[in-house]
Amino acid sequence: MGVASHLDSALTRHPIPHPPSSSLKPCHSQQPNAATQAAFTEQWMHLLLAYARHRGIFILRIEDAEVTGGGEWDEVLRNPRINRKLKSTQLADIIGTMVRMNLAVYEPPKQMRAVLLYWRLPEEWAEVLHEWATKTGQLNTILTFYEISNPPVPSAFSGAPESLLRSAIAILAKGGRAQLISISDGDGVRFFSRTTK
Amino acid sequence: MHRRGGAGLAALHRQQESLKSYDALSNQLSTEQVETLHAQLDHFRGALTRFATHHRADIRGDPRFRRAFQQMCASIGVDPLAGPRRGGWWEEALGLGDWQSELGVQIVDVCVSTRERNGGLIELAELVRILSRLQEDVVRSIQALKALGAGYEVLELEFGYGHGGGRKMVRSVPKELDADQMVVLAVAAEQRGRVDEELLIQRHAWTAERAGAVLQNMLLRDGTCWLDEQDGPDGTRRAYWIPAAMQWDD
Repeated sequence: MGVASHLDSALTRHPIPHPPSSSLKPCHSQQPNAATQAAFTEQWMHLLLAYARHRGIFILRIEDAEVTGGGEWDEVLRNPRINRKLKSTQLADIIGTMVRMNLAVYEPPKQMRAVLLYWRLPEEWAEVLHEWATKTGQLNTILTFYEISNPPVPSAFSGAPESLLRSAIAILAKGGRAQLISISDGDGVRFFSRTTK
Repeated sequence: MHRRGGAGLAALHRQQESLKSYDALSNQLSTEQVETLHAQLDHFRGALTRFATHHRADIRGDPRFRRAFQQMCASIGVDPLAGPRRGGWWEEALGLGDWQSELGVQIVDVCVSTRERNGGLIELAELVRILSRLQEDVVRSIQALKALGAGYEVLELEFGYGHGGGRKMVRSVPKELDADQMVVLAVAAEQRGRVDEELLIQRHAWTAERAGAVLQNMLLRDGTCWLDEQDGPDGTRRAYWIPAAMQWDD
């Protein structure tokens, strides 16, 4: 599914079924009218999360709107068909709104140039992580964070940032389904089956 | 044997006769009562109709009065939607049928849910398409919605600008569109929704200030148009897009 159609569908939720491609042009400019700006920001957030989920991308940086060509976000942030691109100032504004709405967190913390996108909530990631460990027969063994984010067979956690793994593991640890372990080269984790409480 | 009514076949016959007369009397009483009730009801309905007709302007114009009237009808078990004519008594007395009220609700729903992006201005053809209804029905319902005082109105663009002229817009906010805004709408409708200051200056011999002011009002104050700052060959010029005037692909 091309991104243009992603954006099209993002913009065309009920009740307007088919917007003209020209309607996408103003979406690439900050709107001085607060209601219009809010409506556009909402469509962008929807599109960014849908695209990140579709491609398995975790991080969105403001510089993704600044680099010229070749970036993994180009398909969304640039639209050569209508000769428009999302500017970094507008992206920064959208990112700020996403953080306020808990759809993203600054990653790493204490800066505002990059975010971890929550196209799944930490609680959902915890379930996916435990399911992955169970399916791949890695219960009760010690796994390093590196092994989880760089698995031999690509998984949902390929390339996942450590902070995401930590929050998911913390949730599992509360239910007795994982244990954080300090090992020589950084931290690791051991998963337990559901029945072991 | 001095039993009242006596005994034997004659007595049985007499008893049957009296039962019959009781029945007849009972029927007569029931009929009379029903007739009285009907008469009372007719009288009451007549009074209610006179009341409704007399206060027609208030019922249609004042939402609180209308609600009180509906509650009054409900409390005495009269359905204002029921009536001898098709479309109901409501329509008969007030000119606002339930069917039309329902369409009105749908129109309001579409107008309100698209308002955040179009500022309360939508093309009539687009509204008709979304609702899948006849244009004349939609127009009639919008005229009925005028009574709500929320600004619902059909606006017709001036002729004389190619296919932009004669297009109809529906406004759903209680703001008047001034003559300059109507000109902008007509120009934008011809340009598939796009308009800029230069176009207005060329076509209408407006000053840059006049063109700038009307666009700025539509953009900032009303939210009836969108800003595009990446227009032109070098992608740095300002253009304005009016969603109500855009061409919608199918």
